Amino acid sequence: MMIALDTTSPVDLDPFVELTNISKSFGRVYALEGINLKFFPGEIVSLVGDNGAGKSTLTKIISGVERPDSGGRITIDGHETRGWSASKARNLGIETVHQSRALSEQQTIYDNVFMGRERTNALGFVKRKEEIAETEALLRRIGYTSKVWTPTSTVNKLSGGERQGVAIARAILFNSRLVLLDEPTTAMALSEVAEVMDFILDLKMHGKSLVFISHNPWDAHAVADRFVVLDRGRVVFDGPKGTMSSDEFVRLLKDSARGKVQQ
Amino acid sequence: MTATETLATAVATAKKRTLIIPEKLRPVVGAAAFFVIMMVIFVIASPRVFLDVGIFSAVFLSLPIYVVLGLGLVFVTVAGESDLSFPSVVPLCGLAYSATFKALDQNFFVALFAAVVVGIACGWLNGFLVTRLGSSSLITTLGMNFALIGLTHVLNRGEIRQFGEYDNSKIRHAIVGSWGPVPSQMFWAAGIAIFLGLIFHRHKYGIHAHIAGDNPEAGRAMGINIERTKTIAFVIVGVCSAIAAVILILLNSTYYATMGEGLLLIVLAGVFVGGTPVGGGRGTIGGLVIGAATVVFMQTGVIAIGLDGYYTSLGFGVVIVLSLLGHRRFSGRLTK
Repeated sequence: MMIALDTTSPVDLDPFVELTNISKSFGRVYALEGINLKFFPGEIVSLVGDNGAGKSTLTKIISGVERPDSGGRITIDGHETRGWSASKARNLGIETVHQSRALSEQQTIYDNVFMGRERTNALGFVKRKEEIAETEALLRRIGYTSKVWTPTSTVNKLSGGERQGVAIARAILFNSRLVLLDEPTTAMALSEVAEVMDFILDLKMHGKSLVFISHNPWDAHAVADRFVVLDRGRVVFDGPKGTMSSDEFVRLLKDSARGKVQQ
Repeated sequence: MTATETLATAVATAKKRTLIIPEKLRPVVGAAAFFVIMMVIFVIASPRVFLDVGIFSAVFLSLPIYVVLGLGLVFVTVAGESDLSFPSVVPLCGLAYSATFKALDQNFFVALFAAVVVGIACGWLNGFLVTRLGSSSLITTLGMNFALIGLTHVLNRGEIRQFGEYDNSKIRHAIVGSWGPVPSQMFWAAGIAIFLGLIFHRHKYGIHAHIAGDNPEAGRAMGINIERTKTIAFVIVGVCSAIAAVILILLNSTYYATMGEGLLLIVLAGVFVGGTPVGGGRGTIGGLVIGAATVVFMQTGVIAIGLDGYYTSLGFGVVIVLSLLGHRRFSGRLTK
């Protein structure tokens, strides 16, 4: 099965993020090789692929946790970036809900929500009351409330779904433009998965771009505007959802896993 | 109501009361409770000594040294690292202070500056070795402990530097004199503890230090420079060592290269008895102050109640083990 890449935008806009010739190797092993992708404002991209396809590495590169090998280029709003880092990515509006959730479990919920972007006065002292109030309002807005815990509770008191809520709250607090969700529904109860899926659609309604990384093809199909399929570090499919049914999508993934889909 | 029911109600009430203490305050409350129990035992055993202000004045002479050193260690420990080099950083900073002081015609501030610069350099070197070269902080700082004391001896050549002529100076009185029955250094140590406590609990850096010890990968993913955060923690130990060195020299009016001996275990004990676990991510400045007081009073108390000095180590062991068990029980968590 040969699939032509559709690199045109689903919406008539300039890309927010553009990756050109991105590769990443660990020793002699290439986790990513020659990746070219664009992410447009207000679209949901489902990034799928088998284990070891390179999804997490690509997520880490976009979020600045890893740097690509030399020769690759990351462009934000048409401007090429230099010295790519997590801090720079966040400052430019790219937030990530990591698969590990990246929470500091012994710290409070509000410390986690504001991690790395604390609200401080001119001397660097944290404006605690402001952070607590904002965290409370934010968690209420996204539907995570409890009589048991408050923003000053430590994260290790929360359930898995609640921890995911904190990670998501952090990702949307700072007027993010692109939210990367790396396996956001892993180990969640069905009701919690439904909440996350609704929430993703809600984010799109608010004009945010999303990259949804998942093993679950049905979840990935349900929310996507566009699919990007990775296989052994390469993009083997990049195209709009269009009229592709979930069954056709699952077949595409099976074919890509068997090496039958080539760029 | 039967006696059993009354007891059950009392236990339930006590449990409820335990629960209402905020989790972050539990190590401090635990350390304070332990300190009070120990002091009550000392007062009962030797009321003549422990109800007299003299014992407190004596303890307050040395307590600030342990508190200042412990403050730095709390930062390093909460950032998930260890520092065993400070007992050698103290004499090296002291050497910088005394040599500069003698060379520059008793200019206290320049000499203090020299000591602090040496402390910062030692802390930065520890931080560099641990964070940039990826060495274990325990082994690195143990090695640095030997290397720095060796360097101090090489530079000092066995000299004992006397500062008796400086005994009546205003600066010495301001730093290690006394305000009423309380030695001045207690106030300086309290000021430093309040300042570092604010940094530790309320400043962006303090929050980052906690995250560096709890989940450094999460911190990195959120754009926190974990390596720099840990290095700064080592630098804080260096600065605290320099301050402790200067207080020690002013207090004794003498510099000697072995001034750091005997500090390691007492300061470490103060940190852990104060409720800072070695696992990183959690710690308390208030607890450290109480922990240091517990350890120093223990040292004095053993002698004061008429026991042989050899019982001090036994007492230390009992205090450390009991307090760690208490923290574990009280905080509901293992103090690793």
